[in-house]
Amino acid sequence: MADDDFQTLRQALRRIPTPEPRTGFVERALARAAVQQRGTPASLPARVRHFLLRWETWAGAALGAAAAAAVTFILLRPVDSTVSQQPQLALILHETRNVDVLIDSERELKGATIRIAATGSIGLDGFDDERRVDWQADLERGSNLLSLPVVARTAGKGRLVAVIEHDGRTQRVAIDLTVIDPKVSRS
Amino acid sequence: MRSCWFLMKRMAWVKRTVSRTADTSDAVEFERLLREHVPALYRSAYRWTGAVDRAEDLVQQLLVRLYPRLAELRELDQLRPWVLRVMYRIFVDQLRRERASPVQFGADPVASDALPAGEDDAWVDPGPGPLELTNQEVTQERLLRAWERLGEEHRMVLSMHDIEDYTLPELARIMDIPLGTLKSRLHRARARLRELLAAERLVAADRV
Repeated sequence: MADDDFQTLRQALRRIPTPEPRTGFVERALARAAVQQRGTPASLPARVRHFLLRWETWAGAALGAAAAAAVTFILLRPVDSTVSQQPQLALILHETRNVDVLIDSERELKGATIRIAATGSIGLDGFDDERRVDWQADLERGSNLLSLPVVARTAGKGRLVAVIEHDGRTQRVAIDLTVIDPKVSRS
Repeated sequence: MRSCWFLMKRMAWVKRTVSRTADTSDAVEFERLLREHVPALYRSAYRWTGAVDRAEDLVQQLLVRLYPRLAELRELDQLRPWVLRVMYRIFVDQLRRERASPVQFGADPVASDALPAGEDDAWVDPGPGPLELTNQEVTQERLLRAWERLGEEHRMVLSMHDIEDYTLPELARIMDIPLGTLKSRLHRARARLRELLAAERLVAADRV
């Protein structure tokens, strides 16, 4: 190719319009990378991670927890709750709080799909108007901690739903949240 | 049973505290290292993929892939080429999967630009002789149409070399191919683009 021809082409290529990322994309993408990693806590030092991932197993063995017998495939339960099926939490309006979901798996699960939905008065911090997030993650055998940054957007009721799917099997946990506006409560 | 419950709660608290502290500091550092590079990576991804959604997906996959490699990222003198190399590999793997799949992603009518295989000797420019291009002929509209019809592999090499100014040795490392192969691929990509531009020229002439 002649030099002139090449330069003409090159200059033309540089004029191809390339859009900037959509507003909020950079922040969301960085936040998602961190959130997804929390689903598989590989960022922790290996020894700490090993300890953290195994503590329920140790406690269960030491205490002889009968609940362990109920685990068949995956047992989901929110750490903060005292009622495993439909726990409830209260948040102050505009408060951001990490809601931890513990995923207990009786074996290693490669490529499990994790779906999170935040509805009603709550949202996921860093995800603007996106109320549903899903991704794939490898779950380790034992306990896997998923820490979800929930933000209280409006006063009222909200629900956080986590669904884990693997190999055609699904487990779901829902957490009901109430967002309280202190100004309204006082009046 | 009460003491057991307290023990469980206490351990849960320890677990959450350690986890959150590590997560937060990692996330802050990850963002500090990568934030300034993400827009440029996105632009590269857009040139490769030709679509906003696919570019966003590619960058998102890249960041997810990079997050667990924070320790490596900290040690890098030149982060951008290293990260671009990771993104390149993700995209090439993705293209291979798509082409192996019966479900095609955004079917390209010009599928002749498929991923090359054993290209060192095979990549001989089959096109006609040089097509003289003038600035008047390379209008943005024609170039865009030609660019859209160009295969992803050609877009990648042209984007990184002719637009983003990576040198041939840098590009050979990013794409993990020998220099000779890279030169062939670049030559082939430019020739293909010129063919497509010439075709656009004929289409435009037909319209007149």
